[in-house]
Amino acid sequence: MKALELFLGILTAVGGFVEIGELTFALNAGSKFQFALLWVVALGTIGIIVYGEMAGRIAAVRKQPVFHLIRERAGLTAGLVTLIAANLVNLMTCAAEIGGIALVWQLLSGWPYRPLILATFVLLALAIWFFSFEWIERVFGLLGLLMVVFVVAAVASRPDWQAVAGGFVPQVPATADPSQTRLFAYFAVALFSSIVLPYETYFYASGAIEDRWTSKDLNMNRVIIIVGSVLGSSLAVALVILGAQQLAAHEIDAELPGTAALGAGIVLGTWGLIAALCGMLFAFGGAAIETTLSGAYNLAQFFGWPWGKFRKPREASRFHAAWLVLLLLSTLLIVSGVDPVQVVEYSIVFAVVTLPFTYFPMLLIAADKRVMKGFANGLLGNVLGWFFLVLTTLAALAAIPLLLMTHGGRG
Amino acid sequence: MNVENVDLVRMVLDHEVVDGDDVPCGMVDDLELEGGAGSKLTVAALLIGPAAWTARLPWFFPEVARFFVGRGQHRIPWTEAAVVGDRIKLKSTAGALGLDAADRRVGKWLGKVPGSEAD
Repeated sequence: MKALELFLGILTAVGGFVEIGELTFALNAGSKFQFALLWVVALGTIGIIVYGEMAGRIAAVRKQPVFHLIRERAGLTAGLVTLIAANLVNLMTCAAEIGGIALVWQLLSGWPYRPLILATFVLLALAIWFFSFEWIERVFGLLGLLMVVFVVAAVASRPDWQAVAGGFVPQVPATADPSQTRLFAYFAVALFSSIVLPYETYFYASGAIEDRWTSKDLNMNRVIIIVGSVLGSSLAVALVILGAQQLAAHEIDAELPGTAALGAGIVLGTWGLIAALCGMLFAFGGAAIETTLSGAYNLAQFFGWPWGKFRKPREASRFHAAWLVLLLLSTLLIVSGVDPVQVVEYSIVFAVVTLPFTYFPMLLIAADKRVMKGFANGLLGNVLGWFFLVLTTLAALAAIPLLLMTHGGRG
Repeated sequence: MNVENVDLVRMVLDHEVVDGDDVPCGMVDDLELEGGAGSKLTVAALLIGPAAWTARLPWFFPEVARFFVGRGQHRIPWTEAAVVGDRIKLKSTAGALGLDAADRRVGKWLGKVPGSEAD
């Protein structure tokens, strides 16, 4: 039973790894800079492993999710600022995912875009209302595994593997044009942010409590987060390769999420295209649900409301009303006509600004031997924790100036 | 009480409050202390609710926040605290202390939706 749980947990982590932001930035990173940003994917993957493991461990040992820790350690005012910023990012990310689903659905069906946004809202609301947490994880995570078609397409596109391997060495392309260097830095920060999106740790820690993890589940926590993230990041690597191999070669600009499926379609034909679109549909659906639930988790945990899908809506009514309202607001934002890809670009950049405020309280608790006892961070955990805290702080400071200087990555 | 010395800032303020059945019922949004200068200072009550936490915000934000979240507040006598640990556990249930009022109010509406009784 544990082996099955572990296997499903890993598959779910892989299927749920990629969402519209990562897809957009990975493709564009490949199309603009070939393989030169692959090292950022590797760095982001280590970062999400370090903090994801900490979030899961704290949740399993102390039964405390992330926003309890933020309130407890950062205090009321700083915590409230983090809550508002995190939920605005969740709202924007969820809106972008809903828009992405409607665009992909439109490609599959030919139906008009705006009614499809409303249909997406209804389907997502029904899924969250009626499915248990376990089924939400499994349905969307496992069907999101269709995204593996991007790995198959990337391999089939026969890239220069030596050049791909060279991309994992940290580098900045030599160029005389400072605007290209700024653009590279912008994509590095955005790609890093898209991999370590803060909602992932909120959702992962809350999910650990929903699944009633205890300290006996710590090995499972480690295996799921390490194996799931490494395999999941292979999807991001595949998207960078496809961006470099297909989009750059055919001079296609990845302005729409459907462009990603085109990359798979060029290499694998019609079935590759359909599998990619279906995979994206469920991956975006999973991310929309995770962001909307994360928003409700954050609110409930910060204010101490009863929360969790394991509680009946009548018993945790403010939590259930909160996700419904957040999903509705996200839908209204996207139905107003804003471009989902543009929304996700902003949400990814603002997300990195909230990261240090999320990571710092987690690191303080995870390293505190008085509260974590035998389960506190070891030397490696502390070194990696501080390294990524400094890195995310630098990325947070650079994110908005780079967004402005590069005109949102348009050079 | 499970501990002799309680650090109010590190161990109580901004910590989760659960009722006797371990159901979350708020955060310690503020504390009511009794006793003045030169006399023994004691904790009289835990304050839970928007009026308590909005008052701790800086500048003009208390008024702005109250406009959105209201002025409700529950005063839970310190003698109700059974355990001070990772969270503050109360002796009574949330219902008995009136801490479930907001959830009951919203629950009346959500309860009308099919599936609201499912886990």
